[in-house]
Amino acid sequence: MLTERQLQISPIVQESVMHNTKTLTTLHNLTASLFGVGAGILGLESYPGFLFYLIFSLITSALVYAFRVRPGFIEESQAQGNSGMGRYFRNSMELWTGGLFEGLSGFVLTWTLFYGLVRA
Amino acid sequence: MTWISKSVTGLGLLFLAHACYSAHEHSALHSTSTAALSSIASHSTTASNVTSLPIDISIETVVAVFVICVGLVLGSPELRPIQWRVWAGKIEREGEKGFMSSDGTVDKDYVGNPFRVLESRPGFIDIRKQRKEFAEWVREGGVAVGAPKS
Amino acid sequence: MAQIPVQTIHRDPQLFYWILIPITVVMILTGVLRHYATVLMATEPKKQELPAIREQRSLLRGINLRTNANVISPASFQARKDYLVNAYERGDFLKDPDKKGQAAANPMTDPAAMEGMMGMMKGNMAMMIPQTLIMGWINAFFSGFVIIRLPFPLTIKFKSMLQAGVGTRDMDPQWMSSISWYVLCIFGLQSVFNYLLGSDNAASQMAQQMGQMGPGAGAQMFGPGVDPDKQFKAEAENLSVLAHEYTLEGVEDRLLETVRV
Repeated sequence: MLTERQLQISPIVQESVMHNTKTLTTLHNLTASLFGVGAGILGLESYPGFLFYLIFSLITSALVYAFRVRPGFIEESQAQGNSGMGRYFRNSMELWTGGLFEGLSGFVLTWTLFYGLVRA
Repeated sequence: MTWISKSVTGLGLLFLAHACYSAHEHSALHSTSTAALSSIASHSTTASNVTSLPIDISIETVVAVFVICVGLVLGSPELRPIQWRVWAGKIEREGEKGFMSSDGTVDKDYVGNPFRVLESRPGFIDIRKQRKEFAEWVREGGVAVGAPKS
Repeated sequence: MAQIPVQTIHRDPQLFYWILIPITVVMILTGVLRHYATVLMATEPKKQELPAIREQRSLLRGINLRTNANVISPASFQARKDYLVNAYERGDFLKDPDKKGQAAANPMTDPAAMEGMMGMMKGNMAMMIPQTLIMGWINAFFSGFVIIRLPFPLTIKFKSMLQAGVGTRDMDPQWMSSISWYVLCIFGLQSVFNYLLGSDNAASQMAQQMGQMGPGAGAQMFGPGVDPDKQFKAEAENLSVLAHEYTLEGVEDRLLETVRV
């Protein structure tokens, strides 16, 4: 984590941080409902269902890394040799776990709905 | 870029809807057949009712979810660099083009160069450029069409 | 391991068409309606007279100086600090300097304060009324139906919450009545609203809750019942104890560090 002095030397754009977080949260919200549909169709119950959500959320984060974080990183890679994550997020946990819990309620809703619909 | 994401998402939704319909039909078919069987045979309705989905529907569902996921990620807006120097460099290099959303409008929170104020300070004025612009303006006849934008 | 037999209840498919889907559709439409109602009811902030604005802005100026102190040189910081601290202590920026030292007025009597309260009340009303109405509607029409089964097991404690209105003792707590489907909808429809209305909509519960805290904290700063003189004194103290460290100190070394080959 950055110290206060480092923050002063290389300041951070608050708007960009908010934009990135918002983008990520919106994406996770949308995809969480989608995973609910998938889990409901598959008829998963209890732990496998939550595991399904977790795995697919991580896959989404990986896709974001591959399609959104990576290109900017390659563009900059000769300039600075650190990981590409620091360009868009303060630390890498933000990418991997951000939006995981916001999406959970939407997931449970659509999961229950489609579970009930398919198993009528 | 955008039509790719839209078509991928649409394709995935189509697959998902088909998988959902198949699963529903399958379970409906299965439950009626087991109900008929159990009413004929015996009173064992407990465990046999848990239907297992055919493998092809499961695969279709997982693939559909994955495809929609890819589509949505491709359709999500670009991330922005959070460090001031990278961010300002990006604005300087790309200008408004970097903030064009998919339908050709500039994003509403685009504020332009955040260091614009500095450019108008006396110490930062590019006096040669301004002189050249002025000479150009005089050569063109000096009609006041509005001062050239620096 | 003894396998507990799964309870199965044969439900009429009509339950879906006449209970589940209506509730869901009504919930979504109410959210959209609430969003637009909030947008329509939002009153533009009232114009304040000059001294009140000056009071607020000068306090904000001190706060800004405190947060951005490190980017200006020590001399300029010292000059600004001296000016602000002196002015704060003398109470130059106060709305009415003669009332300095008196107790703050009761917020209930101040008409300007009432205005702010009304705005907050309206926001809460837009939240509460639809909820009460829909709750009553569901209770009147759909109470006592078991409509859906949660796909994950729950402990027995959830039974009273999920099966409100269904007085069956032996039923598995996974089964849900219509009222609990409504509760699930409240929490789960965030993402739908996010998608439909954009992410900063008024329909989402979370934003509402955050909003109650956010503007509350903002209003607290200049709100009624807070003595501005005390705020100025506190800010003056904050400024005078601030340790100033210039960012550009040693910038040459740092620059050379980055270009070293």
